[in-house]
Amino acid sequence: MKEMRKIRILLAKPGLDGHDRGIKVVARALRDAGMEVIYSGLHQTPEQIVNTALQEGVDGIGLSILSGAHNAIFSKIIALLQEKGLSDLLVFGGGTIPPKDQERLKAMGVGEIFTSGTDTREIVSYLKEALEKRDETKTKSV
Amino acid sequence: MRPKRNLFNTESIDKIRKKGEKWQRQVYPTEKQRQEVFETLSGIPIEPIYSPTHLAEMDYLRDLGFPGEEPFVRGVHPTMYRGRTWTHRQLAGFGPPEETNKRYKFLLKQGATGINGVFDYPTLRGYDSTDPEAYADVGRGGVAIDTVEDMRILFDGIPLDHVSSSLVTCQPIGNISVQSMYFANAQAQEIPFSELRGTSQNDFLMETAVAIAPEVFPPRASFKFSCDAIEYCTKHVPRWNPVSFAGYNYREAGCTAVQEVAFVLANAMACSEELIKRGLEVDRFAPRLSFFFSGHSDFFEEIAKYRAARRIWYRMMKERFGAKDPRSLALRFHVQTAGFALTAQQPLNNIARAAYHALVLGGAQSVHIDAYDEALCTPTELSSLTALRTQQILQLETRVTHTIDPLGGSYFIESLTNQLEEKIVALLNEIEAMGGIVKSVEKGWIHKEISSAAYECQKAIESGEMPIVGVNCYKIEDEKLPVELFRVPETLEVQRAKLEKIKKERNSTNVQKALDTILHCCEKDGNLMEVVVEAVKAHVTEGEVTKMLKRFYGTWNPPLF
Repeated sequence: MKEMRKIRILLAKPGLDGHDRGIKVVARALRDAGMEVIYSGLHQTPEQIVNTALQEGVDGIGLSILSGAHNAIFSKIIALLQEKGLSDLLVFGGGTIPPKDQERLKAMGVGEIFTSGTDTREIVSYLKEALEKRDETKTKSV
Repeated sequence: MRPKRNLFNTESIDKIRKKGEKWQRQVYPTEKQRQEVFETLSGIPIEPIYSPTHLAEMDYLRDLGFPGEEPFVRGVHPTMYRGRTWTHRQLAGFGPPEETNKRYKFLLKQGATGINGVFDYPTLRGYDSTDPEAYADVGRGGVAIDTVEDMRILFDGIPLDHVSSSLVTCQPIGNISVQSMYFANAQAQEIPFSELRGTSQNDFLMETAVAIAPEVFPPRASFKFSCDAIEYCTKHVPRWNPVSFAGYNYREAGCTAVQEVAFVLANAMACSEELIKRGLEVDRFAPRLSFFFSGHSDFFEEIAKYRAARRIWYRMMKERFGAKDPRSLALRFHVQTAGFALTAQQPLNNIARAAYHALVLGGAQSVHIDAYDEALCTPTELSSLTALRTQQILQLETRVTHTIDPLGGSYFIESLTNQLEEKIVALLNEIEAMGGIVKSVEKGWIHKEISSAAYECQKAIESGEMPIVGVNCYKIEDEKLPVELFRVPETLEVQRAKLEKIKKERNSTNVQKALDTILHCCEKDGNLMEVVVEAVKAHVTEGEVTKMLKRFYGTWNPPLF
């Protein structure tokens, strides 16, 4: 029988932008879907986010960025995760992110980008599927 | 007690009621309703039809009156838009001040009648562009301002004694420096403070309950900064609106129409009490307290909301604070069309959406219409211009400006105005019973209220109960974006170069003296605006002011949701 394990997600809002309605709504939706959510609030530096992810042993990090600073912030976080040997952590995000940049971020290793108008159920099923796939790959490689 | 003067006599009301009840029993049900329940966006049930029976208790002179007269429900000015129409105040700000200055001039040339300056995230929160915390956000969401020199560049070639400027300084901590720089820049140009017209946002809830982060200023400190600016302007800059209670932003964060108005009024009430405690007469400061509301998607509820807010404010100012000056009793406000209602999908639909939201039918004093691309990026020149043109079409072509409060007397609008008033007053009483707005922030009550309302709204969108065209209905799969997106110009290096030069050239003894004076002012609980205006003249940066204040007031971790 498959072991039931609670998915743990860190949600963070890097930078000084204050638009936090979206991320708070996502936090509640993920909790209602049975996940454990650590929400660290605004003003988080990439270093703080990666450290929290490490300490909390999360499966994934979701970043919300509406300021336009997504390219700089995502690349820094991905680099830091690699540095700490955490590159199998699922990184996803949301906010005001134009289609061209979404492609760029995905090429960089970001799993998925959810923009304004996304149904939270879509995020829930994405996380479940992506993490299941990751765990399968891990088991195989072991 | 004055005898009751109802609009309709009892005999007529009885006849109408009987006939109406019969209609509702026998005629209306002969056809099928397309949905079970009809309600406003904030959840007030809407009936099939409204008639005089809904206004049986209404006393025209007591409850509505005439424009420019008590209780100001029909409008705060005698002529309203037949005299002067609303100010077309389009929000603008991005990159370094050199770039935003060009956009201001472009909008003024195209017919904008006021400036609405928005600042980047570091400036709003009191950081310099070069602060390590700011690295990714400089020039984003608004214009970067670090010193009084930036303020000079921002308004270069714009006559400060002729144009009114709204400074969208949401957080009191950013406001204290930015507003000081605006005043200091005017003084350097020898424009007397008495000539300056404008508004600062300066709302402590923006720091402590909306857009919340760890380690912000404690609610009491932020509230003090806000009141300091109001007190300072009351004494020295008499035509400046030193606060614009930012209901719009509470709404964007998730509030309903009822919460939006209740929270701003509770905030305004707390500020008024504090200013009176500081020895100011209510009629000295109240005429300059101003409000900022959202223009959301429920057309009639929003109109009723503005009218209800005017009536509650009038009664509060008169009965609670004993205000006598008609300008203290009249609630003046700016409207921005709801950013939350904009969609990233099929963005050109936002032109129609924002036009419906502009709602000057509720009697706004100034309006910003959102640009169609705001769910995707900072507005381009074309999208800003289209938004400005939408205002001009509304004003010049539709003739909605030709009579005052054109929906006044509508059975539905009046009934909704009354219902909203009742709900808002009930919520105000709840906040008061809790110990007031500052307490409600300290306890984390307001944070929960806002995030629960936002979540409920999301659930309504996802269930389809709240249709949004292009999002949960009439979607286009694999849509190709039909608009050009704006790219923010390089800002950090531009700001860094200026900051380095200023720091090298300024008189460091004067800077140290100014910073010491700020600390001393904190210790004796003086008015910080008095000393910060002087400090920025000595080229103290915004970040340096903030650091000094943080050293004294410490930080606070608000409940995150």
